[in-house]
Amino acid sequence: MMLLVFMQIVFVLGVWQWLGGGLIPSPGKIGLRILEIIKSGSFWDNFMMSLILTLKGMFFALIIALAISYLSLVPFFRPLAKFVIKCRYLTLTGLIFLFTLLTSDGSQLKLSLLLFGIVPFFVTSLLSVIDGIDKQEYELCSTLGMHKWRTLWEVIIIGRLDQVFEVMRQNFAIAWMMITMVEGLSMSEGGLGAMLIKSNKYIDLATVFSILVIIFFIGVFFDYLLGALRYSFFPYTKIQLRNK
Amino acid sequence: MTYQKTEVLLKAENVGLSYAGKIILRDVNFTMHNIVRPDVCQGQVVSLIGRSGIGKTQLFKILAGMNKPTTGVVLIGEDMHEVREGEVGVVSQNYILFNHRSIKRNLEIALEHNDKNYTDADKKNIIKDYAEKFNLAEHLDKYPLQLSGGQRQRVSILQQALTSNKFILLDEPFSGLDVLVIDKVVDLLLKVSTLHELNTLIIVSHDIENSLAISDTVFIMANQPNKEGATITEKLDLIEMGMAWNPEIKNDHKFQEMVAHMKYKI
Repeated sequence: MMLLVFMQIVFVLGVWQWLGGGLIPSPGKIGLRILEIIKSGSFWDNFMMSLILTLKGMFFALIIALAISYLSLVPFFRPLAKFVIKCRYLTLTGLIFLFTLLTSDGSQLKLSLLLFGIVPFFVTSLLSVIDGIDKQEYELCSTLGMHKWRTLWEVIIIGRLDQVFEVMRQNFAIAWMMITMVEGLSMSEGGLGAMLIKSNKYIDLATVFSILVIIFFIGVFFDYLLGALRYSFFPYTKIQLRNK
Repeated sequence: MTYQKTEVLLKAENVGLSYAGKIILRDVNFTMHNIVRPDVCQGQVVSLIGRSGIGKTQLFKILAGMNKPTTGVVLIGEDMHEVREGEVGVVSQNYILFNHRSIKRNLEIALEHNDKNYTDADKKNIIKDYAEKFNLAEHLDKYPLQLSGGQRQRVSILQQALTSNKFILLDEPFSGLDVLVIDKVVDLLLKVSTLHELNTLIIVSHDIENSLAISDTVFIMANQPNKEGATITEKLDLIEMGMAWNPEIKNDHKFQEMVAHMKYKI
């Protein structure tokens, strides 16, 4: 299978290289530009800026989303959770002015925008995990004499921790995609998004595509890393997947 | 066969259930007694038999304290109090366990909620002892999804047996199992019932032959002509009939005749 995928990639790259040179730069040109970008010191500063902001955003978003999701079990908080889910349809661009007034610097502005952008997606995924819990698991807890807090801990918190990790993995892609957008909205402190906007401005398509390829591979790497960590922390998830 | 029926362990009094004006259960009345045999630790095995869709699961949930009946009450314990959720163990048809916990941990959790305050060493010994009795010793470190359906069922039954609940409700325990595994389940249930004098297994099933073969008392659930809602239409005292506590009962001609006859009653 791996060999087949490898051969298909080589074929596509070969065709692209052969037909290249028009609007989209050829793979060879992009590859050379990637090397140049990586060698430049400013790339690593921008990369670290984006990565740290994404991780920070993921961390806070997860805490906020978990709090909203767990609270949604109390009927009083259910409408709040439902409203947060609907916030997926709000656009960040319209909120820049408001967040600029509410925050004191560019870093806070980007973090706030990122949080506002990804928390609804986190809550959506987490609520679907909670809603998907078999009622019989709660009944098992009651037959074992567990009180409500222990049931919450066993079934929803500990029992679904592996799925929280999976939600995190899936939503990292959204956060990573959103980070370039947020950095584009507030370019003051750089980042991969700011690099992209600048390159676009000067119609430097080789650099644009090189940054896109770098962003793509970093995203894929983190997807793999979070998946591997999930299997390592929660070995039973592998069995569950195999049984499906 | 010497035996004595002593105190009442569980009593259903005029239990009825309606949903949206439709009567599901009507005037369900039965009593379960402690059965005492000299020199034997004899628990009780009671079956509630009825065809699919008759309302067995609804009655099951009422007996477990999970659902409230529309009318009537289920009483248990020495003081005959109304059953509360958690007082009756439940083994569901699909053997629900904590999939994120190993088998050992699943059993430890059951012991944590036992009335007796066991030390860690006690817990370890009890689990080891029971795991050997129930052929689970080599699976203790595995996760539930690594076990077969039959093994998961054994863990599920053992888990409930390790709590301090004396009543265990089993929903269709023979469903989806092959003949060889059913024999093992029958052995296992008999073992559990004899672990304690007051242990009472209540089997809710449509499998007449296997339920009868293991029980001392059977209640038939069915509809009566021109009356809406299922009720208990017949009680079979298999001890009086000389058909209880006999491992070879399935080979008995009279038993087979009774099973055939029962099929027309449900």
